[in-house]
Amino acid sequence: MMASSFLWYLVEFIRPSWVRKFFTVRTAPLLTPPYFRGFPEPTGKACTRALRCMMVCPAPGAIDVVKEADGWHPRIHRGHCIRCGLCVEACPNGVLSSGRVLESVTASGTALTLTFRIDVDTVSCMGCGNCAVACPVNRGLDPQMAYGGRASRDDLLLCVVEGKCKVVREDRCNGCKTCEDHCPNGAIRVDRVLQAVQAVSL
Amino acid sequence: MGILQNVKNAVRQRSIHVAYVDVGSCNGCDIEILACLAPRYDIEQYGIYVHNNPREADILLVIGAYTPGWADRLLPLWEKIPDPKVAIAIGNCPISGCLFARPGTLIHPPVAAHIPISAEVPGCPPRPTEILQAVLALAPEVFRDYEVRVL
Ligand code: SF4
Ligand code: SF4
Ligand code: SF4
Repeated sequence: MMASSFLWYLVEFIRPSWVRKFFTVRTAPLLTPPYFRGFPEPTGKACTRALRCMMVCPAPGAIDVVKEADGWHPRIHRGHCIRCGLCVEACPNGVLSSGRVLESVTASGTALTLTFRIDVDTVSCMGCGNCAVACPVNRGLDPQMAYGGRASRDDLLLCVVEGKCKVVREDRCNGCKTCEDHCPNGAIRVDRVLQAVQAVSL
Repeated sequence: MGILQNVKNAVRQRSIHVAYVDVGSCNGCDIEILACLAPRYDIEQYGIYVHNNPREADILLVIGAYTPGWADRLLPLWEKIPDPKVAIAIGNCPISGCLFARPGTLIHPPVAAHIPISAEVPGCPPRPTEILQAVLALAPEVFRDYEVRVL
């Protein structure tokens, strides 16, 4: 009697379906839903090198725009990119896509606008002109510009006037902050002003 | 290669012991590793066990951007883990310093400069599925035929 009840106990416990489940059960395959933001992927549209992605990216070293045989391309660096999707939203040409960022931007009629403000601390500025010489916008306009930041034309972005750096055409600024890196005194600062705007729809 | 070795290979793939160490993160990646333990992802179904004791561990998950306080602690911790062992960098922080990699911050990434790192899982933070995939992809490589290869 005792033995048979023990036997039944065992039989109850090793039901084949239980045994099979014990060794094979798994949670359902965990798929990443398509609306999750991944690392931004190219959509195939042409990059015009507006550099909005680089200016808006919050992660150091996450995105570069590089030139290849068939034109400019944004390159995302894994290990730096935080998958925030801001570059996707800021690009004026829709070159990148990530999750459903592009769709929701189109659906809600929103856009990110970037403007740049340059502040020069006239107390610590010593008028060396490094900023004006290093500035890539200046270099495009006046390739001859050399030591001292003396300008051959008056529509440059930065130039040195009376021993101090002067911001002439702030609207030309691309926000690259090259001047900040070249100032020996930390006297020049570029602020990137990011605004989200929504078109009023009727 | 004997039957015994095949049995060892099969068993070890279902018995991966993990310790994790946070060398200065924002806690984002810690939360994602904790999510792996929860029923939604349930890493024990894959035979991965978390002990947080380096003496028992096979795999060390490193999180964080390496703050100065770890300079004399992480390497001894790594040396306490018995062979075979690997370290996986979880998140952007141990790879690049992530958002903290700016002038004047007290971090010294990458962690690969301080202990050997075998795999990196980028993301800020990476998803639990990505962490799981990294551990599961690396484990067989480390443990398969360990005695034959090394001894
Ligand atoms: S997704 Fe965010 S972090 Fe990644 S490259 Fe774009 S802006 Fe930078
Ligand atoms: S680099 Fe600095 S110190 Fe030199 S002119 Fe520009 S702002 Fe002034
Ligand atoms: S990678 Fe991102 S989420 Fe992970 S610890 Fe670093 S900052 Fe936090």
